[in-house]
Amino acid sequence: MDIDDLLAEVAVDSTPQESRDLQELTRAWVAERTAPEILNWPEELMERVLERIRRQIELVEDQTGNMDPKTNFKLIVIQTELERFKFLVRSFLRARLKKIDEHPLHIRAQHTASLDTMQSLLSPSELQYLTSHQALLSQHYSTSFLSQFPASLQRLDDTTGGISMVDKPDEDKAVFVRALRDIGTVFIEGTDRRLEVKRGDVWVVRWSAVRKWAVGSGTGDVELI
Amino acid sequence: MALPLPPGLTPPEIAFLCEMELVTVIPRQRLEGLELLGGPLKPLNPPQRSNIPLWLALLLKRQRRANILPPPWLNTHSLTAILDHETEHADTFSPPPRLPSQPSDNTLPISPPFLPTSTADAAPDALPYHWLELGEMLLEAAADDFEEPDQVRKLLRGLREVRMAKLRSGVEVLDAAGGIKMNGVGGMEVGEGRSFITGVVDGLRKIGASREQQRKDRDAEEAENGYSGTAGDYDDDEMDMQ
Repeated sequence: MDIDDLLAEVAVDSTPQESRDLQELTRAWVAERTAPEILNWPEELMERVLERIRRQIELVEDQTGNMDPKTNFKLIVIQTELERFKFLVRSFLRARLKKIDEHPLHIRAQHTASLDTMQSLLSPSELQYLTSHQALLSQHYSTSFLSQFPASLQRLDDTTGGISMVDKPDEDKAVFVRALRDIGTVFIEGTDRRLEVKRGDVWVVRWSAVRKWAVGSGTGDVELI
Repeated sequence: MALPLPPGLTPPEIAFLCEMELVTVIPRQRLEGLELLGGPLKPLNPPQRSNIPLWLALLLKRQRRANILPPPWLNTHSLTAILDHETEHADTFSPPPRLPSQPSDNTLPISPPFLPTSTADAAPDALPYHWLELGEMLLEAAADDFEEPDQVRKLLRGLREVRMAKLRSGVEVLDAAGGIKMNGVGGMEVGEGRSFITGVVDGLRKIGASREQQRKDRDAEEAENGYSGTAGDYDDDEMDMQ
């Protein structure tokens, strides 16, 4: 470690929390948009970001009506940035909603399993959406046709006979990733392929092979791009 | 409410990401410091240079409140050198900018678009991740800040064609296992190639799925019987055959 490294470390540490949150949120958004599975809900990050957005909106409301051209331009800058942030948050949430809509039963099971760990998969509102949407759907199915089936055929999450009715995303889907740290050798199950992944490398690789290092589902040593 | 878009970033979303890149501006008007959501913005004092995000630089430029200093790699001299490198090495993209030294474990590692690869003191000899988007946006909004905008535009076009040809010829190495290294690829290029490349890899994997499953079962069985008890001992297979 030479003096440059030491300086760089100090510089990184002095990055304000706001900037780091923007970097984290951006990374989480890209990951959610490109990963085949839903990723862990970044609870603390979202709390901080939403709180800041709320305060910024209040500030904008306070200052609107101020006709001083100087303040006016400042407000334009603030509002432009606010809109960019709102877009990030909205697109992030909508990408998650899409996955919840696609694989509700699978995600509910995953979420229940994640309750034992420190990181829960869904936010409280997402869970509520999933549960009530699913309740409405199954009630609708059962009143419109399921109730006329024999009792043994009425289930929506049947797993007997070797075929599961619960759809799940393709975990082996290829994704583009960039390594943020050296992670060593990656094995691709079922093949002879072994990859030596170093910091800064960009790879096209199966999601299942890198999931445990990825941002949002693992150590965060690898980001999706 | 759910997002109606397929997985992967769309071109406007990639441009949105690119707008977070830092660029250097020379302000023509004062602007007080601001507390923005993404961190504080330092006061702008003409004619002092300042590094600000591209979206803000474009906003200031459109209102003639600042001039943008094109990054050192975005001029005819650097681009010609990079284009030569791209043409000489037919198999790989030109190397990406050198990464800053490795941050310690407890800090968040920085990656594009937050690396300062397009400020006035960036490396002049490498294309950053958002090179194409950034170049296009600067040429569109701030052409008068370039010395030879038309030359630069022409070189960018040349680079794009050479690199797209590589992306297309790279299709031949795609196989079911995936694991393709694409160092130096750009953001827009990932966006353009994503659906085709991942489509081919996924398709090939599905075709070979049963063979892979057999192998997985065999590996699991061997691990259970203790044949390949020490993982990483690749000579096992050969020894079994003797």
